[in-house]
Amino acid sequence: MKDDPAIPTGSRQTWGTRWGVVLALAGNAIGLGNFLRFPRQAAENGGGAFMIPYFVALLVIGLPMMWMECAIGRFGGKHGHGHTAGMIASLWNHPAAKYVGALGVFLPFTIATYYIYITSWCLAFSVFSLLGTYQGLESRQQMGAFLNAFQGVTPDGHFGSVLTAYGFYVVTMAMTVAVLLGGVAKGIERLAKAAIPTLFLIGAFLAVRVLMFGTPDSALPDRNVWAGLGFVWNPRFDALADPQVWVAAAGQIFFTLSIGWGIVHTYASYLGENDDVALTGAATVGLNEFAEVILGGTIALTAAVAFFGVDATREIAESGSFDLGFQALPVIFQRTAGGGLVGCLWFLLLFFAGLTSAVAMAQPLIALLEESWNVPNRRAVLLVCGALFALTHPVILLKGHGYLDELDYWAGEVGLVVFGFLEVVIFAWIFGIERGWQQIEHGAAIRPSRVFMPILEYATPLFLGGILLLWLWHEVPAKLAMKDVPAQDRAALIGARIVMVALLAATFQIVRKASQNWGKGASRFVK
Amino acid sequence: MTTAGSIFMAVSWGAIFGLNIYCLWHLFRSE
Repeated sequence: MKDDPAIPTGSRQTWGTRWGVVLALAGNAIGLGNFLRFPRQAAENGGGAFMIPYFVALLVIGLPMMWMECAIGRFGGKHGHGHTAGMIASLWNHPAAKYVGALGVFLPFTIATYYIYITSWCLAFSVFSLLGTYQGLESRQQMGAFLNAFQGVTPDGHFGSVLTAYGFYVVTMAMTVAVLLGGVAKGIERLAKAAIPTLFLIGAFLAVRVLMFGTPDSALPDRNVWAGLGFVWNPRFDALADPQVWVAAAGQIFFTLSIGWGIVHTYASYLGENDDVALTGAATVGLNEFAEVILGGTIALTAAVAFFGVDATREIAESGSFDLGFQALPVIFQRTAGGGLVGCLWFLLLFFAGLTSAVAMAQPLIALLEESWNVPNRRAVLLVCGALFALTHPVILLKGHGYLDELDYWAGEVGLVVFGFLEVVIFAWIFGIERGWQQIEHGAAIRPSRVFMPILEYATPLFLGGILLLWLWHEVPAKLAMKDVPAQDRAALIGARIVMVALLAATFQIVRKASQNWGKGASRFVK
Repeated sequence: MTTAGSIFMAVSWGAIFGLNIYCLWHLFRSE
């Protein structure tokens, strides 16, 4: 691709190689959710039967929207836009378009304010595993106390304050800055080329290691890896009658492929105008699904059932993804040969998955500042990361009070689906599905089936609209009213909402001002 | 794991392996 004359060299940054684009997009998509969220969702929502709505959602939402976002991104890049605010405005000539697109800048930035902190826990725990810091903590409850002390929620003998966690956060933030300062080809692409193959190697090693656990305790023959795989995969067909299971599957596809974030668009904007998006999108989906279904579906819950049994694992899965990853697995790995190293690799796997996603989340705002405000790349990176650094402090200090969860619910769940729904409606109905599909087919290295045209036009918006309506009906009123939230935590939740509203208003303002330059500077490549 | 569970796992894994082989084949071919 470097030598492709179609790439407007000298005007915008570009990817170095085709493999680099695919690995960077896969790095963005593969995150903590692949290894922690997916197995829990599958086990809770019908086991193997969950894969029916999961694959339906992959075909109705995942693959077509991945193609759509890649095509919108490349189209935007051709028009000089590396951010969805400008891209959506290119698709829809309406004053509101840029504000819809602004969501694709606001959402990843808001999520990054807590995601980088969570990624830093993985780095910390990989070091702790190697040093044997939690050696001897043999129950999940003890590991839970260790995690809480590390996060500064309830200090104990291991950690007197949140300072250790803060130190690892600073290191992770510095790594994020270093990668972003390298730019698209020498920073993000280079990281992806090193981290993603390493992640797959570690994942494959861990999956094989878990399968070799066999029956860890011969006195408890029911607890074995075969039962663990059964816990994830045995189908319960009655679950398919429950609409919540379909919503869970659609949500999982949405989150795992990082659709509705505005990041795929930004990455695809660095493609040349005649570069393929169809194969790139399909390969990204394939790699992500490999990491999620084959590796993610084998490691965590299988190990948990083999050591704790089905009932305890169900309890762990219901209490949350982090309980599984940060409490149950370290206890398990300690009981096995070379447990320190295996634990270290497990958390390194999560760290690589997190870091490649973290750098992606900062890039849309960097692109907006760079291209629409003419801020030099270095200064844009430092500005965005400085703001992220400042905004992570309430996340660190209010851990245990629901601040992080509140950001995650509104930005990391509802916000993504809202933006995904709006962009698919604009692409298929306003820009027009015929023109849109031509964009997907343009330069394609594989021919995407036209069956996906009516799917993208009708089924995808209906599916996403249905999810939004279900949420509005079932969850949002109770969330807004802060039902079941302890009185002492309400201030933290209100604080999170104020921060989100302020960030959204600031993004709108930045986009409004930036749009005044779109006709003059950045968009000079339109014609 | 039940037979049905094994079938679901095998079919899911097969579909994902298939997609990856298809994409890798085309990626290598277009290099």
